[in-house]
Amino acid sequence: MSIDSNKLFKDYVADLKNYDEILKPTKEINKNWTQLFDNIEAIGSDELHELQSEIDWLMAENGVTYNVYNDPNGLHRPWQLNAIPFIIHENEWSEIEKGIQQRAKLLDLILKDVYGERKLIKDGIIPPEVFYEHRGFLRQCDQIEYTTPKNLMIYSAELSRGPDGRMWVVNDRTQAPSGMGYALENRFTTSRITSELFQNIHVKQPSSFFNDFSKMLMDAAPEGVENPNIVILTPGPHNETYFEHAYLSSLLGYPLVKGNDLIVRNGFVWMKSLKGLKKVDVILRRVDDSFVDPLELREDSYLGVAGLLEIVRNKNITVINPIGSGIIENSGLVPFMNAICNYFFDEDLVLPQIASWWCGQEKERTFVLKNIKKFVVKRIDRSNRESLYFCEFLSEKEIDTLKEEIIKNPFRFVAQEKISFSSAPNYVNGKLEPRKVVCRTFSIAKDGCYTVMPGGLVRVASERKQLRVSNQRGGISKDFWIVSDQKQENIQQYTWSKSKNSGASDMNDLPSNTAENLFWSGRYLGRALTTSRFIRTVLNNMNNERYNTRKSESEILVYLFKAVTNITSTFPGFVGKGSEKTLENPLKELQSLILDKNRGGSLAQTLNSFNNSYYTLRNLWSKDMWRVFDSIKKLWKDYDQTKEYSLNSLIKLLDRTITRLIAFMGLIEESIMVNQGLLLYFIGLQMEQATMNIAKSRSLIVFNYEDYLNYEILEAFLNSHESLNIYRYSYQSYLSVENVVNLIILDKTYAKSLHYQLNRIQKDIARLPIPENSIGLNECQNKIAEACYIMDSINSETILTTNKDNSLRENLEKTLSDLSDLLHETSLAISNTYFDHTYQQTQMVQQKIEN
Amino acid sequence: MVYDVIHSTVYDYEEGVTFCHNIAILKPKHILGQNLIDYQLEISPKPTEFSEKKDFFGNTITRFSIQEHHKQLKVVATSKVDRNVSECKDIEKFEEAKKITLTKTLELLKGVSDAILDARQYQLESILINNINDTIKNYALESFKPDRSVFDASFELMQRIFKDFEFNTTFSNVATPISEVMKEKKGVCQDFAQIAIACLRSVNLPARYISGYIETLPPPGKEKLIGTDASHAWFSVYIPTFGWVDFDPTNDQIPKDQHIVVAWGRDYYDVAPLKGVLYSSGRSTLKVSVDIRPEDGYPVQDPKTTTQQQSQQQQ
Repeated sequence: MSIDSNKLFKDYVADLKNYDEILKPTKEINKNWTQLFDNIEAIGSDELHELQSEIDWLMAENGVTYNVYNDPNGLHRPWQLNAIPFIIHENEWSEIEKGIQQRAKLLDLILKDVYGERKLIKDGIIPPEVFYEHRGFLRQCDQIEYTTPKNLMIYSAELSRGPDGRMWVVNDRTQAPSGMGYALENRFTTSRITSELFQNIHVKQPSSFFNDFSKMLMDAAPEGVENPNIVILTPGPHNETYFEHAYLSSLLGYPLVKGNDLIVRNGFVWMKSLKGLKKVDVILRRVDDSFVDPLELREDSYLGVAGLLEIVRNKNITVINPIGSGIIENSGLVPFMNAICNYFFDEDLVLPQIASWWCGQEKERTFVLKNIKKFVVKRIDRSNRESLYFCEFLSEKEIDTLKEEIIKNPFRFVAQEKISFSSAPNYVNGKLEPRKVVCRTFSIAKDGCYTVMPGGLVRVASERKQLRVSNQRGGISKDFWIVSDQKQENIQQYTWSKSKNSGASDMNDLPSNTAENLFWSGRYLGRALTTSRFIRTVLNNMNNERYNTRKSESEILVYLFKAVTNITSTFPGFVGKGSEKTLENPLKELQSLILDKNRGGSLAQTLNSFNNSYYTLRNLWSKDMWRVFDSIKKLWKDYDQTKEYSLNSLIKLLDRTITRLIAFMGLIEESIMVNQGLLLYFIGLQMEQATMNIAKSRSLIVFNYEDYLNYEILEAFLNSHESLNIYRYSYQSYLSVENVVNLIILDKTYAKSLHYQLNRIQKDIARLPIPENSIGLNECQNKIAEACYIMDSINSETILTTNKDNSLRENLEKTLSDLSDLLHETSLAISNTYFDHTYQQTQMVQQKIEN
Repeated sequence: MVYDVIHSTVYDYEEGVTFCHNIAILKPKHILGQNLIDYQLEISPKPTEFSEKKDFFGNTITRFSIQEHHKQLKVVATSKVDRNVSECKDIEKFEEAKKITLTKTLELLKGVSDAILDARQYQLESILINNINDTIKNYALESFKPDRSVFDASFELMQRIFKDFEFNTTFSNVATPISEVMKEKKGVCQDFAQIAIACLRSVNLPARYISGYIETLPPPGKEKLIGTDASHAWFSVYIPTFGWVDFDPTNDQIPKDQHIVVAWGRDYYDVAPLKGVLYSSGRSTLKVSVDIRPEDGYPVQDPKTTTQQQSQQQQ
């Protein structure tokens, strides 16, 4: 294929100065890529465009996100995957693999040495300040011994192709390297959507790598542990790579926990689960070093587990990667790496690195200061994300400031030669564009050596001219193909043999944070649905009023408005002080109750709260659920943009929201298993619906209306309850308050009646694990039993007795109010019994030191 | 001289604490010139877990956790220490070391002997002693000149801090930045030690923070009250060929037998006597008392100069 004839390549060669992955200087295509371009030519550029849109769509649909800190456009940004993969031939790859393995082994030895004998310092191989001035050097980790033969269990090397055509190491990631999950999801996506591009290309699959990964976690358990309990420790849904934490949790089948799910007691680490405490043996952590133990490390951290480090010292837990491994994410090491390699292995580094000068040495510093414009200057540690200076672009003043900084703290800086790394084709708007790429590779400890994932995660600069590749700045990724001359197997969806894995297969072991979020998901969904339905009923009534001038109509509306305020607890609203004014323009108030995110009790806020629980639980949701969830978000976003807040448009918004919420609730029931915590969701949902049911009844049927109002109030009530048809079917009569109370409150068999709901809550609570150390019925069971007893004792004859003086059905009001209190107490009891986060972690000494 | 030291810390919790993990650095060092004869740590309620280990700096770290609900935590460290500084003075070497200039010191510090490699980490900034500014450096440069002896300059630095800084127990807390202390020239022993260390590091000298106790004497003719002492802090400078030399800027003297060493590190952060993470929702109050007296009590004798030792309460 010649590139001149292909319109995809139009403009590709313009200002192409550097090494390019596909084009030789002769404009011939690198032979590793020819088959791919034949395949692209075969499908045509229109089809390629289609594929790219489909990838974008699928990534968004599957909820593959990458959080960008401080992103004004919202936290969860869809992950971008370009249709054009990055290709390396296995012949070249096997050399690279050797280089990665060598470097992993080397870094492992450095890690052991720096917290052990420190021979590298004593023997003069590395100046001590390379470690001592690095903020990742944690003296608390000194002399810790580990049970695993390798200390560095996961290593990620970032590679780019240098001007000499070889792959160079540009970064080492050793604390909690991210990207593996994204790499795998990329492969699943390309295999599914761009299968035509794989025609006649034998791409190596990462299947065995993830099996090795799972085995590595298992084998890392402390001595004598047969069936290790493994957890994945995440900083939470606000972390940039939370998608991946949840992804790995569901892929590998290990619970995803936050710091406050874990606790140190009696010399071990325990997970707080529904049943009580469950011992944990291995922690795969995605929390950075200094945040993992607020007792010994950063005191202001709420992401870690107090006392964890001591359990590590006593070899009763394995943390992967070990705490303190951030010290070898150290660009100060680069100038010494070859010497270290010779020191340990008596050989040179296989993979080249960027020429670097550590400013802690006088000669090097002088050289750097003199030629500073030629360099990229970095801090040796990367705790500050933006501490990278491309000196050629700095002003004289900035250069002077940087020089001063280097002279003042020379040990903290390293200068690197500015390298133009290679570019690879990226599909952009119907054409291919050369873009800078960085390949993140992944290796894990296996049998005393390291095994490397074939491929990895390729990240692409977000603009053609951009030098730096970073996801934090919003980047694009590529699938990374290692191609072979031999036929390869297809990618497999993983099915883990769970025999050895005791994972979270039992509801007893459900982390209490997960349980709590499920419970609240149920509550928020219940609230969102009831609120939407009720406001919709009111809006419909307003709509009718416009065509109907009966006096009763507007009187009824006032009752309904007041009920809205009561049900949503959004006082004063239509009820309290200033309500006359609010009643003058009721649509404005209703609009705010629907759309105002900052108003407690509004539908928008309830949906927002649900969003938060939802993201936290993402490892449990199915892809269909993502789709529906996303469509709710999109619906609201689009609505927000129309700025048209008419009665009809609000009704339409609610109609659509309601259908989607119901679809979502249906999916929850079929996607999550009871022992994954579905029960908690149900309890939350029923509890909220029962509570709202009571609130509605108290606002609409406690008062004994004049006859001419009664009918329509009851009709609205049944409507908002989606029960009008059922009523007609069951009673085939004129609406009467007796029958309505019978159906909505007293009926034992109707799923929307309060009686049914209370019984169901009681039954579900009885199925929850009984906490250890409890005798007899616990508080949750007691409270709900009391509520059911009141319900059973209701006398249908007297419940509706009206006090003539105030026209109130006082028995009904009293009963409903007692039930409401009991439900609230049941909810609190559930919180106290199962979601024990009541006690706040605090420092004994409030030093307010940021370390 | 043999001393009995009782260091007691009591936390009262309004709401009670269900669970806590703690770290204590209270055990005096057993080093040349200081012999630890006896040491006991009493903790109530009784900890469920307890361990004693050496840290990176060779200090003894005690870790303990309490699992029962408690409204009061009491930690009492009782030590018997025999202090005899004359043991560690090699007069000849010391006289030589006193002459070493700043220039010579910095040159010798490029060496790679174990002692020098260890000392080099104390040249660097640390968690509490960071952002050493020009004011601090200029203050240091008044005493430190390339051709002047490091010992003399350090001695003068100690004297100047004693003279220029006001002893004030209400001004600072453990998190007060050194630049603030330098600006206001107020503080307690911890601040003075850290200012001195910052000065020394600003001219690239290795300096470390020492925490411990100092014996105070009752006013003439009066009985010494129990618990009126407190923990103390001073600084130490590394002089190649000799080793570490201590200075007490709060009392304008080179520590002798009256100073008892508990721990050392880069700054206060490395050696805080007691810290912890607890699970509680209420407030707490803290009482610390330290009592140091000679094993045989006080003979009737002429009053010595009084010393200052008040350190910060950790609140």
